[in-house]
Amino acid sequence: MVADNVSFTRALVATNFKATVALRGAFVIQVVFMALNNFTFFIFWWALMQHVTTLRGWQLGDIQMLFGMVAAAFGLTVTVAGGVRHLGRFIEDGDLDTLLTQPKPVLVNALGLRSQPSGFGDLVSGLIFIVWSGQISWSRLPIVVVVIAASAVIFVACGTVFFSLAFWLGRVETVATQLWELLVTFSLYPEPLFGGTLRLLLFTVLPAGFVGYLPVRILRAPSLANVTILMFVATGYLCLAVLIFNRGLRRYGSGSRFTTFG
Amino acid sequence: MPRAAAVELDQLSKSFRVRRARSTGVAARLRDLFSGETQTVCAVDKLSFSIAPGERVAFIGPNGAGKSTTLKMLAGILQPDAGDVRVLGLVPSRQRRQLAFQIGTVFGQRSQLWYQLPPRDTFELLGRVYEVDAPEHRRRIDALSSVFDLGTLVNTPVRHLSLGERMRCEIVASLLHSPRMLFLDEPTIGLDVSAKATIRELLWTQSEQERVTLLLTSHDTGDMERVCTRAIVINHGRLLWDGPIAALRRSYLKAKRVTLWSEAEHLELTLPGVRVLSSGAYRTELEIALEITPLGQVVDAALRQTAIRDMAIEDAPLDEVIRALYATAATGSVPS
Amino acid sequence: MSAGTIAKYAAFSRISATQAGRERNELYGRMAFFAVILGVFSSLWRAVAEAGMPVAADPKSLVWYLAATEWILLSAPPIHLEIQEAIRRGDVVYRLGHPASYVLAEFATGFGLLAVRAPFLGLTAFLCAFAFTEWTPPLSALLIVVPFGFVASTVITALYLGIGLLAFWLQDVAPVYWVWQKLMFVLGGLMLPLELYPAFIQRAAAFTPFPSLLAAPASVVLGTNAVTPGALARNLVIWSGVTAIAVSWMFRRAVSTVTINGG
Repeated sequence: MVADNVSFTRALVATNFKATVALRGAFVIQVVFMALNNFTFFIFWWALMQHVTTLRGWQLGDIQMLFGMVAAAFGLTVTVAGGVRHLGRFIEDGDLDTLLTQPKPVLVNALGLRSQPSGFGDLVSGLIFIVWSGQISWSRLPIVVVVIAASAVIFVACGTVFFSLAFWLGRVETVATQLWELLVTFSLYPEPLFGGTLRLLLFTVLPAGFVGYLPVRILRAPSLANVTILMFVATGYLCLAVLIFNRGLRRYGSGSRFTTFG
Repeated sequence: MPRAAAVELDQLSKSFRVRRARSTGVAARLRDLFSGETQTVCAVDKLSFSIAPGERVAFIGPNGAGKSTTLKMLAGILQPDAGDVRVLGLVPSRQRRQLAFQIGTVFGQRSQLWYQLPPRDTFELLGRVYEVDAPEHRRRIDALSSVFDLGTLVNTPVRHLSLGERMRCEIVASLLHSPRMLFLDEPTIGLDVSAKATIRELLWTQSEQERVTLLLTSHDTGDMERVCTRAIVINHGRLLWDGPIAALRRSYLKAKRVTLWSEAEHLELTLPGVRVLSSGAYRTELEIALEITPLGQVVDAALRQTAIRDMAIEDAPLDEVIRALYATAATGSVPS
Repeated sequence: MSAGTIAKYAAFSRISATQAGRERNELYGRMAFFAVILGVFSSLWRAVAEAGMPVAADPKSLVWYLAATEWILLSAPPIHLEIQEAIRRGDVVYRLGHPASYVLAEFATGFGLLAVRAPFLGLTAFLCAFAFTEWTPPLSALLIVVPFGFVASTVITALYLGIGLLAFWLQDVAPVYWVWQKLMFVLGGLMLPLELYPAFIQRAAAFTPFPSLLAAPASVVLGTNAVTPGALARNLVIWSGVTAIAVSWMFRRAVSTVTINGG
């Protein structure tokens, strides 16, 4: 049973990857341009930090690491679980129909569709940023991998929750996309910029704190306690997401609920 | 387990909440937002029928009759509001995964093939989905590919396939795990005449050979006649008619359509139960109610006036039969 | 252009404005996003001010600067997506037979959206910037930013139209859009006034339309008096002209390829 599901998931990821690289030209362009996109954006920080060397204790290297971390985790998310950003539309338009007639977990099946080629650009540029930050020695590579994976899990879980709102609210595409983008946006800025109630939000509903800030703290000074917290939190968000999705699935209307039916 | 029905529905119901059409004006829209006014529309209304293993059933009804909704409840996609459903002895809403191993589905408007990849990749992934042992799965792919005459199509990216070719691959995909029951929702939609014929023939042979129970919805009466032996007609979510397709014809087709080509330029036939549909020079088209006036009497009457050069006798097309069925349903009396 | 022609394209604008008025969700989303960005940057500029401001402006006016550049950018509807879809589906070929220019009709449609977005986003910009800084720039500055910003946003809409038309030649225009957008971020001085970038970037920016579209109109709120309204107007006229010529040339090229090679 477990072995079957593992072999299925592996086959799904492989098929997904194959489909992504099928149009080689488009794939290469997306990867290169997304990486270029990230580097261009970073010119902002680079220019600013030429004038201000530290920003509440953060230096350019720290920002580079944060930026790299989040880009890599985001890239991993949309390459392996690219379906997450389409869940809302799948739910509304009845695209889960086929998946529901297959004997495999619907969420896994749905997440594994639509890998985004641009994600590879994010992943690659993210790793370059991390190396370039000059703060990571090769011996810390395993921690980097673990932290990026945990962060990606939280991204997937949040996306699942945001887009699963479609089960209850119908057209949530825009709202959910905005929430998702807010999460990404907040996680790209240095932690000390945010205080007060906003901080509470950033460690709960929009856990930028867990996808960006905590990982950076771990990479700067690895501590078993922080790694444990991160793993624990990632598992928690994932369980919540699975629970909410499966709850919602009971209300699934195959695209008929809010429109007409046939 | 005794030889149970393949499908059994008892008083099955499902309704949807539909949001009212938005009114215009800011105030009205705000009101809509807060009152959240919705309308309940009954899609399937206390529907009962059963299907024996190996049967091939056409599920017929106008748009919005509740065909797809019923099919989706049978496949475990939608949860029923009330009533019981059993498919192959399982309750779809509660035993979705167990059921999934034994049923196949084809939705004409949705694809389960990966668009950028050749069908073979999807087929192989499906082997993992249905947990089929790899060598056996490969044999099955080859066998079905040859029955469905896929040839090089299995290695051609789906985006390059024609609709008909794609549909053949979709059906193969749904049969790979040797399901005992196949649900098809509009499998020939959008196909040209010859592609339709191929699909129908393949469905018929395949279900005949492997004793697959088949339930298909379609708007195309050709699908029903070529593939199925039994029809279930519903409208407004309720059962209208259930029986062999041949009987559907007979019970509704008490009229024949006769075209006569005569020596005389015009024919004057005034017999009870005979209606002239059209008449031109040397040609007369009649509709004859057979219970009132048998065909022979009409021909005799015509021969008394002139010589007949040619004659064609046809049944009304099944389309018309079904239209008549809906019409009588609307007026209330339904013979069966 | 005759009065009839103007009325025809005005109808496209009106219908898309009505449509946008009906479907407000996306607009509300943008407004929320805008508010958050302004919040993030107001704390960023406060942190920068603690570390020593590198530019002759206070953190408050930098928040207003960002409010202005983002307002211009966010008001422009990303119409390239729909144009790409229409081109992929082959709709454009059918539209060629209509007695309305495809490019002008799409531009008018985009303008209709812009006309709905700009006031809402402008209000968001004003209220949020005021809430975060408890200060407003002088009225005279705002009176320059608003009209020039609106025109700039219109030019950006036309540029998106151009990006959408690239779909005649490219499989996917999204990558072009990303890089274009990021160039606009940097060379247009979206988040950071151009003076803070290294000299070579400033020199490169001078050859692009981006500074005239974002930094120049927005920098009025910084009170540095770097640009005069006359210069602003002149640059906008030049870049509108260049954009119009480029887009119509692209469309003519596209149509000739389509009509020769088939749709």
